[in-house]
Order: sequence, then C-alpha cells, then structure tokens
Amino acid sequence: MIFLAKAALGIGATLILTGAYVFHEGVIQVSVDENRAAGSHVHIWVPAMVVPVALHFVPNHNLKEAAAKAGPYLPVLREVSKELAKYPEADLVEVLDANQHVHIAVHRGRVYIDAVSDNDDIHVSFPVETLSDVADRLEEAAPGV
Amino acid sequence: MNHISRGFLGLAGCLVVGACAFLPSRGAAQTSPKPDQWIHVRVESKDNSGETVRVNVPVEMAEKVLPAIHHENLRGGKVHIHNAHLDDVDLRTLLEAVRSSKDGEYVTVQGNGDNVRVAKSAGYLYIHVTEKKVCDKTAKQTEGKEVSAKNATAKESKVEVKIPMKVVDALFSAGEDELDVLAALRALSSSGDTELVSIKDDEDTVRVWIDSKNVSD
Repeated sequence: MIFLAKAALGIGATLILTGAYVFHEGVIQVSVDENRAAGSHVHIWVPAMVVPVALHFVPNHNLKEAAAKAGPYLPVLREVSKELAKYPEADLVEVLDANQHVHIAVHRGRVYIDAVSDNDDIHVSFPVETLSDVADRLEEAAPGV
Repeated sequence: MNHISRGFLGLAGCLVVGACAFLPSRGAAQTSPKPDQWIHVRVESKDNSGETVRVNVPVEMAEKVLPAIHHENLRGGKVHIHNAHLDDVDLRTLLEAVRSSKDGEYVTVQGNGDNVRVAKSAGYLYIHVTEKKVCDKTAKQTEGKEVSAKNATAKESKVEVKIPMKVVDALFSAGEDELDVLAALRALSSSGDTELVSIKDDEDTVRVWIDSKNVSD
C-alpha cells in the first residue's frame, strides 16, 4: 500500500513538474472555425517545447526539402524572431474592412495572428522563440542553403 | 524519514513548482520599455469597403531585418535602380544641388490643375504636390463634348512629403544607381518624431510617420 502511495506521489510530482515546465515554455494555440453549416472546428494546443523536439524526428530529406524552399527567408525569419523578442508588446499589422479583420501583434512575448472573416475565424498564437527554433532546425538540416 | 521531514519535503516541492510556474516565460523575459522609434503606415480607403491598413514597425527591427532580405533589386539594404536618369532627369545631381544649396523654395509650379512646391527648410526637404482633376459625375461623357459645369466635379489629391535632409543624404550615399535604404533608416531613427508622407485624395488617405509609440494614434 505504501509502495503504491509512493509511486502515485512520484507520478503526480512528475506530472506537476512537467506541467509547470510546459506552462513556463508556452504553448502554441491554433483555432480554426468555419462559419458555415457542417464547417470544421479545429482547436489545438501544443506545448511550444515540443516543436524543436518534434523537428528532430522529421526525416532529414523532408527537412532538407523544406529548408531549400524556405532558404532565402531563413535569415529574415531569424532576424524577425530575434528582434520581436525585444518588443513584447506591439501591434504590427492590422487590416480591417467590412468583411474581414486581420491582426498580427505581439503580446507578452507571444505572436498572435488573427484572421476573422465572414467565412472563417482563424486564431494562431505562439511564443516568439518558436520562430527561431524552427529556423535553427531547418538550417541544421541544410546548412548553407 | 519521519513525518516532519516528509511534510517539509512536500512543502518545498510545492514551493519549487509554484515558483517555476510563476517564472516569466522565455518570450516575456525582456519587458523593459525602450524609447525606440517606430515607423507607422496608415492607409484608409474612403470607398464603401472602408478598408483600413495599419502597419507599425520598430525602426531598429527594420534596420536589422532589411540586410537579410535579398529579393530582386533589394540586396543588403540597398535598392539597385537600373537607370537613375529617370525620364532624362538626373535625380542624383538634382538632389546634390538641393543639398548643397541654402534654405529656400526651389520649385514652384502653379497651374490650373497642379501645384508643385519643392523647398528646403531647417534641415528638411519638402515636396508638396496638389493635383486637381475635373471628373464627369455621370461618367458618360460623349467624345468631343466638353463636360458641362453642372456635371463636372473637381477632385483634389494632395501629396506632402517631408524628409530630413540627412535621410536624403543617407539614401543617396551608396554608389551610382543605388539607394541605400538601410543608411536612410539609420538616419531616420535619429530624427525624432516627424510626419514623413501624407497623401489625401478622394479615394484614400495615406500617412507615413515616425514616433516613439508602438501603436497607431
């Protein structure tokens, strides 16, 4: 009985510590709602720390292909990520008209991309550092591209 | 392990987890406000859609990102222009003449339709263009017939550009057939709050200005 209690305590503590670490590192949120009958509704929460880890499991040839396509933009991505980290609060782009609203902003070090139209509601948010994590991994896969 | 030490261990664990959760996230690590300069662009359409575009970019960020862009004529923060002699006007020589001249009004053209004014004052280059267009309200003007005064409406478009001379200098500091946008941005960041471009016509209002606020007013 005591052994079971100790095991439960260990698992519980591990879960709490993992949760705290995930909370600390931030999460990636993706929310897509189609405003029509039988439209799809997708809501995803992924710990941001998973991205660099998951990229290590992507086959190298796929990453090389992606890196080759994104190659010219990787330095820009890296610089944008580095610079955005200096501006934790910023309204970067806003496009507004009668039918749609697009907003790109940084709030508390997270990038928020919101696109709301008559047909779709799309909300994406992620920690600024996720951009550089992706750029780093792509560059590792195809150095010098 | 007795009950007291177990309790102490549990309490310490809770404190560590709590402290970890309340640590600032990686992204919010640098929250100290900086008196940076921001470039703001605002475009407001006056048509039925009422489209509004607002862009706010830190000048420092633009300075860092610009050299990383290599696309068509923009390379290393410089724009290559194939022929600086635009319509047989040597722009570089013209600006050099303006730069080395004393403050004053250099060009004033006043006509029935357009007014153009180019001046230099207190370290700024001013270009003001006012264009008046006479339009037929009905848009069914018969060929050869003049638009009657009743149906004609005058549309006015105003373009006002105010650029610090040091920014103009920086822009043209690169070699022949090149505009050094990066150098111009650097010069701009030290220019303080200023309205750079204002365009007003019947369809759109465009404003480009620089200040230390991180949002449009």
